[in-house]
Order: sequence, then structure tokens, then C-alpha cells
Amino acid sequence: MPKPILVQPQSIRSYNRAFASHFAKSIFITVILLAVLVFIGTRMFTHLDLNLYGYMVGTLVFIGGFFYRFIAWAERPPTKNLIKKGIRLLFRKSTTKTATNHMVTHQFIWNRGIYRWAQHFLIGWGCILSCFVTFPLVFGWMYFTMEENGYYTVVGMGINLMKVKADGVLSFFFYNALNITAIMVIAGVSMALYRRLKNMQARAEQKFLYDFLPLYMLLLVSVTGLLLTVMNVFFHGKGQPVMSLIHQYSVIITLLYLPFGKLAHIPFRAVSVFAKNYREHYGSQSMKNCRVCGDPFVSTEQSNDVIQILNENDIQFKMQEGFHLAELCLPCRRKYRMSRFSGFNTHEAKVKEANQNAKG
Amino acid sequence: MKKRLYIELENCIGCRSCLAACTQCGGHEQRNRNYVYDVNPLISRQTMPLMCLHCENPACARSCPAQAIQIHETGAVLSALVEKCIGCQNCTIACPYGIPKFDSEQNLMYKCDLCIDRTKDGIPPMCASVCPSNTLQWLSEEEIATKKSQFALENEKWVSSMPYLEGGTNVKINLPGILQGVEKLF
Repeated sequence: MPKPILVQPQSIRSYNRAFASHFAKSIFITVILLAVLVFIGTRMFTHLDLNLYGYMVGTLVFIGGFFYRFIAWAERPPTKNLIKKGIRLLFRKSTTKTATNHMVTHQFIWNRGIYRWAQHFLIGWGCILSCFVTFPLVFGWMYFTMEENGYYTVVGMGINLMKVKADGVLSFFFYNALNITAIMVIAGVSMALYRRLKNMQARAEQKFLYDFLPLYMLLLVSVTGLLLTVMNVFFHGKGQPVMSLIHQYSVIITLLYLPFGKLAHIPFRAVSVFAKNYREHYGSQSMKNCRVCGDPFVSTEQSNDVIQILNENDIQFKMQEGFHLAELCLPCRRKYRMSRFSGFNTHEAKVKEANQNAKG
Repeated sequence: MKKRLYIELENCIGCRSCLAACTQCGGHEQRNRNYVYDVNPLISRQTMPLMCLHCENPACARSCPAQAIQIHETGAVLSALVEKCIGCQNCTIACPYGIPKFDSEQNLMYKCDLCIDRTKDGIPPMCASVCPSNTLQWLSEEEIATKKSQFALENEKWVSSMPYLEGGTNVKINLPGILQGVEKLF
């Protein structure tokens, strides 16, 4: 009598079964993490600035939208593949350099045009610096106390970091950080709007919801934020409570919109570092030789990955000659198409591709 | 009225006006996005243009991890969105016709967008508006139907069909007469 085979249940950990979906789990972990950080940062919830409580609720809703959008995105076959391999290759030597290049200095935008780089630099860094100021204040990771008259103590994550003179140079920058970033954003957005009015390609492709709305939202956030300062400094705070609510609404709407519109490219950028690592790493390992001319043109890994991704999309480019089109270098692939159009095997003629660049 | 790009391959005389015109399209930044090839370079002077055929199920967009390649409501498969393209070059490997070009300095893919600033308003794309030999034409559905009846064969070989293309395309192609088994009269 054959022994009954014991089927071991797959290692299902109980914490994985506790959640209805990947989405639910991600949000739960993030919110718990946030709560713990707030607990530490605010010295057990004793230094929470309730004036900013609207932003906190807004951020929590934003997290929901963020995970909804990006988990759906990461499920697409090419994205899944790139993220999986990108994480594996994250600790390459060149990662720091690539990340700085792509996400801090934006050299590729400089190469697209200095004007565009300048507008992007102003908007991008204006927004990032504002977030660095705003979110720590909202969650109580940073706050100020005054134990001694005339001196503020800067507290970060519950630790007394430094003492600054209340009317000193450093504190001037602390008080005006958001004013400075607001001016940066307004300048950048104005440049971007001007470009959108003048550039023909932009005028052809731009849509109100996708291209203009984020710019208008950033403008609204910055202008209402600056108005708060104006009202405090020049009008003795008249109208400040109303304006502060308008500002709060504008920020929250921008946050909620972020994962779904143009601003979604901010988290996408991290994947461009993955892409660069992926190409460099697998390119140095083994290159794919074109099945027609024999020249290396892309990494073997990427060629195979693309074939796999196309398969998952139910696209087969397997030719009767025995090769997949993704195994041909670009000139050979184009010449192969000529052969399908004409009946003559253009790709087999040993002639270099004619010049295809018309310099206008 | 919806119009399509329609290509009569064997009309091409190799003047490369389409390449030059492509560079002049707004937003193409002086770089052409199309190709003209010698069919049998050592024997004859026959050339043929190779354009993006704007697939109905575009492999480039399917293989893009960043969803940077969008499809316009006219059916045109647009060039990469500048803010989303992450420079992985999957699209250049996936495209069955080898159309997308990549600029490594700008970390950006660019390809034929069917001059969307023009074609969205029914104006022919730059290449079709300059072609002197009627290789590239900008035709309505009825005109294409007339063309089809003109060259009708029982095996429906005349237009972009599977043995010659990889799936349905928005650009229609009229194969050379030699492949259709007919002598064309112009």
C-alpha cells in the first residue's frame, strides 16, 4: 500500500493572513509606523501642534490614494520585473551617483534645455524643501520650545538639537523657509506656464487636468501660503484664520491629486535609477548579439525580459526564420521589415544602414 | 472626419523629404523620427519609407514600466511623456519595426507621434504633406476603401495584413504590386 503523501501547507504566516490585500497591509504598516514616529517625536503626544491637524488627516487619506495608485502600477508586468530586479541591484557602487544625477541635480533635464531645468529645479526643490519643513511640523517630529527668554530650542524627534537666538540669522531662515520656497515655486510655475503658452509641442499635447491643474494647484498653495505671511506682517493678522483654512484645503487637495496626475512622476523617478542599474549591470554581464548581423545591441537579460513581458501581454513576435524580433538589433529589425514589405531579404544584404538622420 | 496615414510603399523615390519635414514638426526639436531604406542596395535604387505604424495594441506601450507611452484618442501612439520616461529602453527592444529612438543624454525615448499637433485637427502629418510621389498620403476611410477596391484581390493582400505586419495598425499600408501579384497602373 502506498504511503499517503503528506501535503505540507505552504508557509502561510499568520500576519499575511491577517490582511485582506497587499493594499490593506501596506497602509496598516505605514500608519502604524507613522503613529510610532509621532509618539516618539512628540514626546508621547505632548507636543502635537493641533493647529495643523487638518494636514495630518489629509496625509492619511493621501497614503490611501498613494498605495492604491502605485500598487496597481507595480502589478504591470514590465514594472514588476523592473522593480524586482532594481531592488536586487540597489547596492551597486554607481547607485549614489545615478541617484544624485537623476533625483537631485536632474542633469538629464539640463540636457533637455536650461530653461526647463531652471523651472523644474525651482518647482521641484521648492516643493521638496517645503515638505521637509511642513511634514515634521505636522507630525511633531520638529518643534520649538523657549526655555530661556530670547532663545529657541530646536527639538527634532524628541531630542534637543540646538539653541538659536530668536532674532538671529539662522532663525530668520527657519521662520521664512516656507516663504522662500513659496517664492521659488511661484517663479518656477510662472516659467512653466509661460513655456506651455509658447512651446508648440506642449500646446499640442497639454491637457487641462493633466498639465495645467498641478501647476495651478502649486500656484494656489504658494500664493495662499505667502498671503498668510503678508496678513501677519502687514495687516496685523486680519483675515489670517480664513486664509489659513484656504491654504490648508489647497495643500490637502494637491496631496490627494498627487498620485493620480502629473505629479505622480515624483515617485516614478526612483525607478529610473533602477533602470540605469539594470542596464549597466546586465550589460556588463552578457550582451545579446543580433541574430542577423551579430553585433551586440542590448543585454541578454533585457532582451529575454522584453520577450517575456510581451508574452504576458499575449504578443508574440516569433518569426518563421526562427528568431524573436526582440533578438534583432534596431537597424536589422527595420531592414527585416523592408524584406517583409518587398520580398527581398534586405536584412541579409551586407550593406551598412544608410544615413537616417536628416539634420534640419 | 477621421483620416489615416496611408503608405503606398513602391511609390517611394528616395528623396527623403519625409525625413527633412519630420525635423520641422513643432516639438520634434530638429530630429527626424522616421526612416527610408534601400530595398536591395547593391542591385536597384528602389527605396521604401518606414514609419511608426501606430499599432492598435502597441508593444512599446505594453513594455513600458512607467506608462510613459500614451495613446491619443485619434489612435496615435505618442512619444514618451518627458516626465515619466525612465530611460530603460524596453520600448526600443519591444517595437517589432525598430522605430523608437533613444537619446541617452536626455534619458528620453522619442518616436513618431504622427505630428499630433497637426493630425488631431485633421491636418496631415509633416511627412505626408511633403511627399512628392504620393507614397505617404493622408486619406479618409472612404478614400482608403476606394483604394482597396482598386487593388482588391481575393486574398485581401493589399493592405496591412498579418503576414507582413505584426497585428493591426492605424496606419494602412499598400504593399508593392509584386507581392500582390498585380501590376499597378498610376
